[in-house]
Amino acid sequence: MIAAIVRTEWRAILRNQVARAAGILMLALTLAAIVVSHERVSSVNAERARFQAGADAQWKAQPDRHPHRVVHYGHYVFRPLSPLAFFDFGVDPFTGHTLFLEGHRQNSANFSDAGQSSVLLRFGQLTPAFVLQVLTPLLIAFLAFGSVARERERGQLRLQLTQGVRGGTLLAGKLLAHGAIALLLGAPAFLALGAIAILHGAVALEALTMLAAYALYLLLWAVLAVLVSSSLPRARDALLALVGIWIVTTILLPRLSPDLAMRAVSLPTRIETEAAIHARLKALGDSHDPDDPYFSRFRQKVLDQYGVSRVEDLPVNYGGLVMQEGERLTSALFDEFMRADYARQLEQRGIVHGAAIASPLIALRRLSTALAGADLDSHTRFLFEGERYRYRFIQALNSLHATEVKHEGDRDQRISSSHYTETPRFAYTPPSYRDVAARHAGPAFLLIAGWLLALGVAARYLAHRLERSGK
Amino acid sequence: MIHPAAALEARALNLAYQGKQVLRDLDIRVERGQIYALLGGNGAGKTTTLNCFLGFARPDSGQVRVCGIDVGADLLAARAQLAYVPENVALYEHLDARENIDYFLRLAGSAATRENVDSALRAVRLPESAWARRLAGYSKGMRQKVAIALAVARAVPVLLLDEPTSGLDPHATSEFNALLQDLRAGGAAIFMVTHDLLGAAEVADRIGFLDHGHIAFEAAAAASGERFDVRGLYRRYAGAKEAA
Repeated sequence: MIAAIVRTEWRAILRNQVARAAGILMLALTLAAIVVSHERVSSVNAERARFQAGADAQWKAQPDRHPHRVVHYGHYVFRPLSPLAFFDFGVDPFTGHTLFLEGHRQNSANFSDAGQSSVLLRFGQLTPAFVLQVLTPLLIAFLAFGSVARERERGQLRLQLTQGVRGGTLLAGKLLAHGAIALLLGAPAFLALGAIAILHGAVALEALTMLAAYALYLLLWAVLAVLVSSSLPRARDALLALVGIWIVTTILLPRLSPDLAMRAVSLPTRIETEAAIHARLKALGDSHDPDDPYFSRFRQKVLDQYGVSRVEDLPVNYGGLVMQEGERLTSALFDEFMRADYARQLEQRGIVHGAAIASPLIALRRLSTALAGADLDSHTRFLFEGERYRYRFIQALNSLHATEVKHEGDRDQRISSSHYTETPRFAYTPPSYRDVAARHAGPAFLLIAGWLLALGVAARYLAHRLERSGK
Repeated sequence: MIHPAAALEARALNLAYQGKQVLRDLDIRVERGQIYALLGGNGAGKTTTLNCFLGFARPDSGQVRVCGIDVGADLLAARAQLAYVPENVALYEHLDARENIDYFLRLAGSAATRENVDSALRAVRLPESAWARRLAGYSKGMRQKVAIALAVARAVPVLLLDEPTSGLDPHATSEFNALLQDLRAGGAAIFMVTHDLLGAAEVADRIGFLDHGHIAFEAAAAASGERFDVRGLYRRYAGAKEAA
């Protein structure tokens, strides 16, 4: 019986030219998004790998130098994209993906696509995630808004019920029919995710989790559309209601909630942060000033430690030790500001995530960008890992300065390039699946499941009402 | 007391809607092999009565039974005994006649074999050339034939019709009446709601006149000669309305 309802619903859609054309266009759009995004991510990764190789080659080609010159020579590191980033670019086009690591400074990530491209980029990019998150739900609503309401208007609903069919059976048939259509519309994207899971074993779990989440999200829209159609007297009302829900949950809330979060928790501008860091740095002390109280105490401590009275008598180069101490102090300060900034961003994100109660799209985006390695956490992890690497790398050079360069004639000396060209290269490690699942995927799944549960309760009520009143 | 043999029975029905008494102590009884026409003006309660039989309206008091099954107590079982043909036959325009019957038969849990479907379409005299055509191009008379074919295919004992001849030309009306007579001959109980006294008098065995939710009077067809005194019925009905 349910199979007959499903088949008849599918026939109605297949025999409707507009619905058929819209479905084919959506499938083509999804396919185009997959191809274009995959091409873009492949080219971005290839470009970053090329730049990284170039930067590494330049690094290795350095001649023998004074270690402090190497500190200022610096080094570029690039954040590689996950194979799943083709599905959801996340924050990557806006955050920048390149860090310049050098002494005394903590540089922010540079060369974001948004910073280098036209403002049109900010209007959204054609990714499979965008199509499935925003456009496909609209088509699902368009295909399902009349599923029950139009039959009610035409009297077909009463005729079906008078055959003795249960309201629940009728509704289940409609839900299955439109649920299957929703999954069919997502099929190209699901196949792409399946292919990624097979071809890139390292992100197989992420790909399959993403697939399940998007499937649930599209099913949620199908259920919502059929139930709205069941609850309103006219198809036109159902369409208006669904478009309204779509506008609020997929356009307004995802756009407004970050604005509200920014108002609630303000982030200092880059200039404000740099001014604050500069003021704190001045307060720390000046290693070049012989009368600076902090570095005078530091010098005395070093002299005491080695049992000598002059820096010239130290077995190590005092200049290198000062650089080490200066770097320790400034890095701690950078770290403090970085963590404070991240804490504020987390507060903002908490507010945005709270809005997911009213917008499943926000929950899905949270999960999607995290699994694609393109969320704020992944970006911040890159910054923190980059900073840790920078600190170790600069301190290693400062240590070479202290041990391999003599105090006398310090500036004119060079050390063999083998000391620094052989240092381990930076390699970004993405967060583990378990971590992403616990922090993002789990809560997002719970929220979408909560929505489905609530709709399930509504479906029971509506099925009973259909059966008893034909309305 | 409810008579167990009645195909369709309403007893002492009362129903109020939005503060208005729509049905008042309504009694109707239709036997198998009988056509009952319920006449009444707008707002007399005809559609509400039909909805009570279909289970879409619940009376405040009284009982509704279809083939002895209490509609309020076992709605689905009661619906399984009846076929309903609405005024605007609400079949699917994107399906052809066969597909429509096949679908509704499956909903009813009846055998939807090709032979069963074709035999029902043949029984209602729908031209075979139209069977595989989508209903979008059908006339109202043809659609009604498909709806009746569904009832035939389901072989249900009760048929409920809402304004069956409204919008039909005389030829289609005559064909439709012939179909109803065939079904009656097969033992079906037919209950129709209509404004059309002449049409009802042509086919019905009994006519009930509904006024303010109550049967004002009933008339039975004569065994021979003119079946009903239509003028007399009309005068009586108009008089009853004026008296009310």
